[in-house]
Amino acid sequence: MSGVNPEGTRILPQRDGDARSQQRMQRLSERSHCTTGSERNGGTVIMSTQTTETSNVSATSITAKNVELTYSDGTQAVRGIDLEISEGEFFGFLGPNGAGKTTAIKTFVTLLQPTAGSVTVNGFDVVDDPRAVRTSIGYMAQETSVDEELTARENIRFACETYGVPRSERASRIDDLLALVDLADVADKQAQEFSGGMKKRLDVATALVHEPALVFLDEPTTGLDPRARNRLWEHFQEINQQGTTVFLTTQYLEEADELCDRLSVIQDGKLVATDSPDALKSQVGGDILEITLADPTDEQRAHAREAVRESGLFEGDTIEFTNEGIAIASEHARRDGTDLLFALREAGFTVTGFDVHSPTLDDVFLAITGETASDETPNEQQPDDPVQPEVNR
Amino acid sequence: MSTTETERAVEQRATGNSFSVDVWITLKRWLRKTRRNPFVIFGALITPILLLVLFSQLFGQITGDALRGVMGTDVSYVTYLTPAVVILMAMEAAGNSGIGLVDDMENGMFEKVLASPTHRGAIFLGKALSDMVLIIVQTVMTLGLGYVVLWLDSGGSVGTYIQTRLLGVLGIIAIVIVFSLAFTAFSNIAALVTQDSESTTVLVNLLPYPLVFMSNAFLPISVLPEWMQAVATVNPVTYGVGAARALLFGQDVLTVLNVTAFSGIWNTIVPAVVVLGVLDLVLVGIAVALLRRVSSSQAS
Repeated sequence: MSGVNPEGTRILPQRDGDARSQQRMQRLSERSHCTTGSERNGGTVIMSTQTTETSNVSATSITAKNVELTYSDGTQAVRGIDLEISEGEFFGFLGPNGAGKTTAIKTFVTLLQPTAGSVTVNGFDVVDDPRAVRTSIGYMAQETSVDEELTARENIRFACETYGVPRSERASRIDDLLALVDLADVADKQAQEFSGGMKKRLDVATALVHEPALVFLDEPTTGLDPRARNRLWEHFQEINQQGTTVFLTTQYLEEADELCDRLSVIQDGKLVATDSPDALKSQVGGDILEITLADPTDEQRAHAREAVRESGLFEGDTIEFTNEGIAIASEHARRDGTDLLFALREAGFTVTGFDVHSPTLDDVFLAITGETASDETPNEQQPDDPVQPEVNR
Repeated sequence: MSTTETERAVEQRATGNSFSVDVWITLKRWLRKTRRNPFVIFGALITPILLLVLFSQLFGQITGDALRGVMGTDVSYVTYLTPAVVILMAMEAAGNSGIGLVDDMENGMFEKVLASPTHRGAIFLGKALSDMVLIIVQTVMTLGLGYVVLWLDSGGSVGTYIQTRLLGVLGIIAIVIVFSLAFTAFSNIAALVTQDSESTTVLVNLLPYPLVFMSNAFLPISVLPEWMQAVATVNPVTYGVGAARALLFGQDVLTVLNVTAFSGIWNTIVPAVVVLGVLDLVLVGIAVALLRRVSSSQAS
């Protein structure tokens, strides 16, 4: 994995790259299959039949069975997670702060023992054989974890030593990783001189020294500016394309959408939905039509909803209140939107904003859980613009 | 599990290390960090010089009678003072141990290492060894500086400075290690209980000076106020300094315990090592229990 040889071509992982890319293609075709399927399932975990079929051919990277974790103060951080992640997959946990993402990931990387249930990672049980799990995974914690008194090179070398990378391979591995995360030119500077994004990239590199089959990334881009985040995304996609299974947690809806083959929406320690981003989006039931009212009081919004119902344009579609007005999820939002505007004006409303967009994962969150992903920003709708607003933190 | 043989082989390419290699890797990282820390270098060199010069100039003129009373003969105050500075430096260095640990926790390295295949015991043994290396280097340097100051002061020969010669130096190093273990454990306990680098820093910096002043470090206990004499009797610094001083002077110097069961300096060294050893066992035991708790994967 992860390296450029002197000729400038990417070195493929030592394992069977062809078989992997085939698996990946297979998964991609399954994925498009799912999207047309538009499965709806009342809040329980959705596992498409196609995935189940292929799980005999492609090996399983993580198997979690009814995992629970209760802290000694009684906090139930994880309440019964079932999960199966295939090798080569890019899988995500999407949820707000305090949903249990970090606790779940810590049980997968053996930092916490599940209080109930079982977790198998790369074929090893996290409780019975934690050391085998640790050698077979890379882990990047939510807080950037680098030794600031050491240089970038020394940090990576320390990780190489820690994981027992053979001495003969270390020098080239370190150079490859420094190149991968674009830190070759500052390799011999102490990490305390680095920006937040550079430290994160260094952290990524140290998680990859032993070419792990599976990498855990806990909110890897939280707190980074969009440019630094986009660069990290490229690195993650690259290591995934080279065959590494990636397990990522994020509060950034767009991040999950951009990177993940499949994702689970996690809330209050439970998985409320698991599917491909597209399939999840299709659960919303069409495009989103947002209407901003000049005077979005509760009363006005209720009246507006009445007016929408009376117009007969969106029968059977969901109508939600937003901060600014109302939002309608409908298969024919684009077609009938202007008619609705007209009807609202007839009914005496002053419409100051109007937006039709494809559903984002925030819409998905709203549709699945009845809540937005973040409490701080109720009804925050994701614009289709690639820059993730920082407000989601 | 459906993982095939070849893939399993790939996953196991990085196999982690043996326990001793893990200790070595940990030790190397901490020594490198210590070397990078300008305060450690500054403190290790400048502090003993300052203490030796200032205290010997300040007290050297007035302590003659008191020293003659305790030691039986005329002795140089510089020589009397050097073991105290050695012990004080060891306490400062031991105090940094906990600060290093809590820094590691705050910047995520502690958890990062826990998530790696590094053996749990090696994480702490490697760190403790790096603390001991620093303390040994400091001890040797301080002993050397003590001699330089003595030579500048009175031109005394090495033989009069360290009566027990090379064996005495090794003995002093051993005493300092036994003494420092307790304070290393104490600073790590402070770090693990507060889990905060500022609080740890305050705690470990608060302790050394009162303990050193209320002991036999700078003045013979007989000239201390009575209440300080009481403190000095139960003060571990008294035993650490006493044992190191016994080796330097080649005679029994411990006045707080009147042991006569052995001969000569052993009447100081044996009781001192017993007292310090018991303290080590207690404090190291507590520190290890706390470290076990933070590094276990039990949800807490």
